[in-house]
Amino acid sequence: MFKKLILSAVLFVVSITAHAEYIMVIPQKPGGGTSVWAQIVATEMEKYLDEKIVLKHIPGARDIPGFNEFHNNLQQDDKVIMVSHGGNGVAFLQEEVDYNYADYESVGLMNLNIIMGIRTGTNEDNPSLAAGSGMVPEAFAMALLICGPNKTVDEYIACFGEHVTWVKGMSSGERRLAWKRGELTATRENPAAFKKHAMPTIEEGQARVWMHHGILNAATGTHSDDPNYPGLQLEILFEKRWGVAPSGDFYNAYKLVKSFRDGLQKALWVRAGNPNLETLRNALAQVAASEESMAIIRAKVGDYEWLIGEDGNKQRDTLMTFVTKAALLNLVKFNNEALGLKSIYKSTLAK
Amino acid sequence: MNEIIALLGGTLYGLLIGIIPGAGATTGLVAIFSFIHLFGADPYLGVIFCMAVVAASTTGDTYTGVLLGIPGANSAAATMVDGFPLALQGKATYAISAAVTTSTINGLLWGSLVFFLLPWYTQLLMVFGVPELWGFMILALATVGFVSSKLWIRSLVAIAVGIVLGMVGTDPNTNADRWTLGWNYLGDGIQLIPMVAGLFAIPELLSGFKNRSKTTPRNNNDYWKQTIDGIKVSWKHKWLGLRGGFIGAFIGVLPGLGGAISDWMAYGAAVAANPKEQFGNGNIKGVIGPEGSNNAQKATSMIPTVLFGIPGASFAAVIMALFMYLDFELGTYDLAYDDKFFSSLTFGFMWGTAIVGVLCLLLTQYIARIAYIPYKYYFPILLAIMVWVSMQYTGGWEDIAILILCSVLGIACKEYKFSRPALLIGFILAPRLEALTYQITALYNFDTLIVRPIFLVIIVATVGIFAWGAIRKNRIDYA
Repeated sequence: MFKKLILSAVLFVVSITAHAEYIMVIPQKPGGGTSVWAQIVATEMEKYLDEKIVLKHIPGARDIPGFNEFHNNLQQDDKVIMVSHGGNGVAFLQEEVDYNYADYESVGLMNLNIIMGIRTGTNEDNPSLAAGSGMVPEAFAMALLICGPNKTVDEYIACFGEHVTWVKGMSSGERRLAWKRGELTATRENPAAFKKHAMPTIEEGQARVWMHHGILNAATGTHSDDPNYPGLQLEILFEKRWGVAPSGDFYNAYKLVKSFRDGLQKALWVRAGNPNLETLRNALAQVAASEESMAIIRAKVGDYEWLIGEDGNKQRDTLMTFVTKAALLNLVKFNNEALGLKSIYKSTLAK
Repeated sequence: MNEIIALLGGTLYGLLIGIIPGAGATTGLVAIFSFIHLFGADPYLGVIFCMAVVAASTTGDTYTGVLLGIPGANSAAATMVDGFPLALQGKATYAISAAVTTSTINGLLWGSLVFFLLPWYTQLLMVFGVPELWGFMILALATVGFVSSKLWIRSLVAIAVGIVLGMVGTDPNTNADRWTLGWNYLGDGIQLIPMVAGLFAIPELLSGFKNRSKTTPRNNNDYWKQTIDGIKVSWKHKWLGLRGGFIGAFIGVLPGLGGAISDWMAYGAAVAANPKEQFGNGNIKGVIGPEGSNNAQKATSMIPTVLFGIPGASFAAVIMALFMYLDFELGTYDLAYDDKFFSSLTFGFMWGTAIVGVLCLLLTQYIARIAYIPYKYYFPILLAIMVWVSMQYTGGWEDIAILILCSVLGIACKEYKFSRPALLIGFILAPRLEALTYQITALYNFDTLIVRPIFLVIIVATVGIFAWGAIRKNRIDYA
């Protein structure tokens, strides 16, 4: 009896591992936003791969250790796929990390926009917004729009401190509640979450859409207006208010950080030269082409633009062109001095 | 159909874990982490399951308290004082029947008031802003520090240790590592599961192992007579049970206080109301009083837990983590308007309470056998589950190291009577209190705070708790 039990257990384990062909590395605990996304995408991809995808969670501070582990050890395994999110993109620019997007091939990625709302009756030049490393592009956008053109980074830092109430320590749930209660006068969300969490307040006449960052066009390297919220891209609002288009090193820093966050919002990577790359890209392309699969993904994570295969690599390459010494220095200085976020200048990244 | 399976599964699992000496609701909930992913497809089933576990384990832990003199969880300790002597007199079924009847009635009564009205309470979310939440946190720490134990200085030390441990990880101000001692693993903070398993489950398992030889005589004679007598005596002393329920319900609403204090208070109230009677030698009133309290306390603990994300008790802290795994963030606006979530909470708790009550009354003679299974059989299983769930974070040796360290801390706290609930509440509230302090200082000043009446009432209550706790002689020394 005992031998039979052991044999059954061994067969069970073998049967699982025999099908555990791919491993999707997720840099956070189960239950997080990227984990949920990966779970859904993996389930849909399995249908077209005809092979199992096992999720491997490697959580850690600011979701960095998992990506580092992929870079340092796991990527050599041709069956390992890395899942990254926008926070990894921002950390890549301003923190000590081992991973480097330039070393990998993109299986596919999701490109999105972030929308900001502001409560009516508040002074747009004195907003309050929840802080956090994920909010850095919004802090840049507010500094630009409120403070105007032709300023040094020190002037932007001083102006930001004077005008913006930067509220630290809020989770996304607390932020949404504080927005509804009117304690925070500004908020920001991805398009799906904006409809869910900000639009009800807007429809009640208590708030309005303020601005958005635009959608990155990898071919041109520019951000274009979001057709869902036309005329409200930061660049358009800036020109309307100040009479000139935004430009300069501070603006370039803004463009850099918003592009790395939103342009790499959810991405799948494998090592360069991975022989399974095309198989994975084909499977993802089939997921994107399947109305049934996309309906499942849209229902859970929202409707975003997908860039699959070489388009993903092009997106990454475009982002890399934004990495300049001046933009990085401005990003780090603004982070440290205006936002209080510990950031480092990575000279190895700068061109 | 799936809902019923989840309900029955949770009820039976909760009953089983409640009966196992040294286990109880908190340990049982921690063990759920090993299979919580099974509810990924329908997280509402997970909510039903968890609430059924809470309801059933609270009733189930009466068995070990009465039969073995070992509380299944700390909430059964007060019941044990008179329940165990009754069992030694051959009246175990009588004591269990009275306990289960009282516990079930109070669970259903207070559960109705809490869960059916919980969606209405969500209106409080719009009234409770950052200052009120901040004040509520301070109130929670004050109550757990000054009221939960007569050794309040040790409680304060425990809170301080909990706060320090809770602040290990990432500094929300700078987004940089803090107090990680250069250990990258700690960058994401100390994980809740090994903390709860180490603080509560492991010390209680070891304690149960130490006391494994204690037993009472099995008595299957006049089983039905004792069962009916137990129901009758519950009715006879219904006001005693309801008073216990009221005490439990009141304590449950206060954030940070657990089952032990409400049960001991209810027991104390029973003693005080009957000054001419002997307690501790098998007085049935000493069973009915605290048993009225424990299910009521579990129900009302869910109010601060669900509405504000402030755990009402130790078990609620684990519930919070489990629900977060299921993608339900407690204390948020979205969840407050999720009708299905509330109906799942209600369904799981109310039916779990009712089913386990009926099962216990009808099948006590069989259920009691579980309590007599030699400890050596389930000790290694429970220990293995605790290790397994603690390894769900990275799966590496670091998870084990943290579990061992937390276990040492838990054993030391238990031995030297430093309140473990206080330590856990400090650990859980520390990051939120720090974050709320940043928020209140960024968004408010003295002039804007002084015009918020609820905030002022909470602050006055907190000061009152400090004063009361400092001068009062509390008889509770659970650690």
